[in-house]
Amino acid sequence: MEPKRYGITILGSLLLFFCMAATCYGIVLFSSLSRTLEVTASFKQGQVLKAGVDKITVTWGLNQSLAAGTDSAYKTIKVKLCYSPVSQVDRAWRKTVDNLAKDKTCQFKIVSRPYDKWNQTFEWKVERDVPSGTYFIRAYAYNSDDIEVAYGQTTDAKKTTNLFDVQAITGRHASLDIASVCFSAFAVLSLLGFFIAEKRRAKLSEQK
Amino acid sequence: MAGIEQSPGSSMHGVTGREQSFAFSVASPIVPTDTTAKFSLPVDSEHKAKVFKLFSFANPHMRTFHLSWISFFTCFVSTFAAAPLVPIIRDNLNLTKQDIGNAGVASVSGSIFSRLVMGAVCDLLGPRYGCVFLIMLTAPTVFCMSFVSNAGGYIAVRFMIGFSLATFVSCQYWMSTMFNSKIIGLVNGTAAGWGNMGGGATQLIMPLLYDVIRRTGSTPFTAWRIAFFIPGWLHVIMGILVLTLGQDLPDGNLSTLQKKGDVSKDKFSKVLWYAITNYRTWIFVLLYGYSMGVELSTDNVIAEYFYDRFDLKLHTAGIIAATFGMANLLARPFGGYASDFTARYFGMRGRLWTLWIFQTLGGVFCIWLGRANSLPVAILAMILFSVGAQAACGATFGIIPFISRRSLGIISGLTGAGGNFGSGLTQLVFFTSSTFSTAAGLSLMGVMIVCCTLPVTLVHFPQWGSMFVPPSKDMVKSTEEFYYASEWNEVEKQKGLHQPSLKFAENSRSERGKRIASAPTPSDSTPTHV
Repeated sequence: MEPKRYGITILGSLLLFFCMAATCYGIVLFSSLSRTLEVTASFKQGQVLKAGVDKITVTWGLNQSLAAGTDSAYKTIKVKLCYSPVSQVDRAWRKTVDNLAKDKTCQFKIVSRPYDKWNQTFEWKVERDVPSGTYFIRAYAYNSDDIEVAYGQTTDAKKTTNLFDVQAITGRHASLDIASVCFSAFAVLSLLGFFIAEKRRAKLSEQK
Repeated sequence: MAGIEQSPGSSMHGVTGREQSFAFSVASPIVPTDTTAKFSLPVDSEHKAKVFKLFSFANPHMRTFHLSWISFFTCFVSTFAAAPLVPIIRDNLNLTKQDIGNAGVASVSGSIFSRLVMGAVCDLLGPRYGCVFLIMLTAPTVFCMSFVSNAGGYIAVRFMIGFSLATFVSCQYWMSTMFNSKIIGLVNGTAAGWGNMGGGATQLIMPLLYDVIRRTGSTPFTAWRIAFFIPGWLHVIMGILVLTLGQDLPDGNLSTLQKKGDVSKDKFSKVLWYAITNYRTWIFVLLYGYSMGVELSTDNVIAEYFYDRFDLKLHTAGIIAATFGMANLLARPFGGYASDFTARYFGMRGRLWTLWIFQTLGGVFCIWLGRANSLPVAILAMILFSVGAQAACGATFGIIPFISRRSLGIISGLTGAGGNFGSGLTQLVFFTSSTFSTAAGLSLMGVMIVCCTLPVTLVHFPQWGSMFVPPSKDMVKSTEEFYYASEWNEVEKQKGLHQPSLKFAENSRSERGKRIASAPTPSDSTPTHV
């Protein structure tokens, strides 16, 4: 083979090797996944759910219009709560990245179930550590090596339709507020108390 | 301490981190011991300690040292307590990167003003009450974190907590009433460095507290609020300890603080004038902003950076971030020591080179830190960056005492304020907008450090030279006496007000380095290195 062809062949095989190696090392790209799952949930577009209080019911399953055997590799389904683009603005810690190992879009796990041909549902109470924001729900299908192979989500590809809001808990408690006021008052009063007492003692000793 | 008594607010004596050579003790012939005094440590005629016994708690000198540095440490802990918990707080309060950056700027801005006011407070009430007032009145601001529910509240509370960093001034001031001026350099440098360590310790303490509180069943958004009670309690405890165990002076009496032997009052306006018209002051204000300033900025962003970039757990990120601030234990004193060491051979020129080398290396490692893609490399770069920046802080205060004798207090205060200003600026420019990632922000900050350290090449002392220019050959201008006496006008010189400056000039001849042998030295001068 001429050197040029030889070089290109080497380069090509290296590239192929690295792509395959990447998959071996679990570097899965979101763009390589196929959207074969149908995911729906019981919220209405734009509904505001209260963290720790409200519940939603999530339903997922294979898209029935697809050919049989599409789901042969699916072993587990993990359903996750994901940030919509509007909640990702100016917040690089929620960034969407194609490499799923580095992707931070879906940070909350709703449920994990073994894959079943038939539709499954789960009733989920919004956890108290979910921050305020706008969300959608996505389900990933994993194979037996625990690598993502397919997904489905409640919104469209641009993640702009059918979103819902979560209103987080404040984390404040009346007991904390009261304790805070008490300790603050103690600090200020003890300072003033000491100061005045010492001034008085100094005046008395001066008079003597 | 015999010297010029100035109008309230201008003295700030003891604010300098370093005054004379680096020594643990002063031998008797140089400073005579007062044998009638009954203290655990040998003292001089003003009953200031001549010996720095680190592991003693003897009343009043060493006890003051420990109360003082621990109070300063506590304030650093509470000022930077939010930083390692930002990954939780940003979700609770729905913060954007701008909010987080602005809060970081706010946390260091408050003390620019409070440090300037603290000098006056110490003059009026004494350093003990200065420290206590500040630490007790900022305790409610720490407890206020439990009320915060949005970005505005968060920024406001961090701003108010930041006022507590003025304990630096009371700490240094208090030390200067307790320790002889020949060892005050080491004492103040150690206290400043160990206090700064609080910025590192807090990155370790807060995530740990958060974890423990979560294990008892709290939700994340409540647990971090409870964690803030601990720094608040530390404020109250230290305030009470200082009130009950501390005293202003070795003899315990505050009112004599204001009465001294033969003193003359100096006018604040004059002192300020000579400080601000000396161009070296402003160069060092800029420089300190890029050694201390970047240290404070990094304290605010580093834990969140490691958490996000390398997907670490909160307490792991905290441990790594802590090593940055904890390097102050040795790095800052090392910087001062290196400055003294090079001064022995190369005088002031050696000090300037030492400063430039440390600070520039710090900048280079900061660039590396931002670009490091693997965790071990990032940690190594961070540690080297911390040593460079903190040693530069120590080396800065090896030079500051020589810029001016008359306006030493104000220059030290301005330099300290410059540190905080630099911190606010770097956080605003590099870590607040979404234009660049935190990694890029760190690298760019490193570039800025290297650039802003270049002005040190312009610092020139006619009697000692500068980095590239040898000392002046002019017979008159090349004396230390000429330089320090030029801060006084003829009228003042006739009154003899400039005598302490002349005495200092004599003692500063050590800054000629090895050429000291060729300098005309009066036979009765005290040696500068003990």
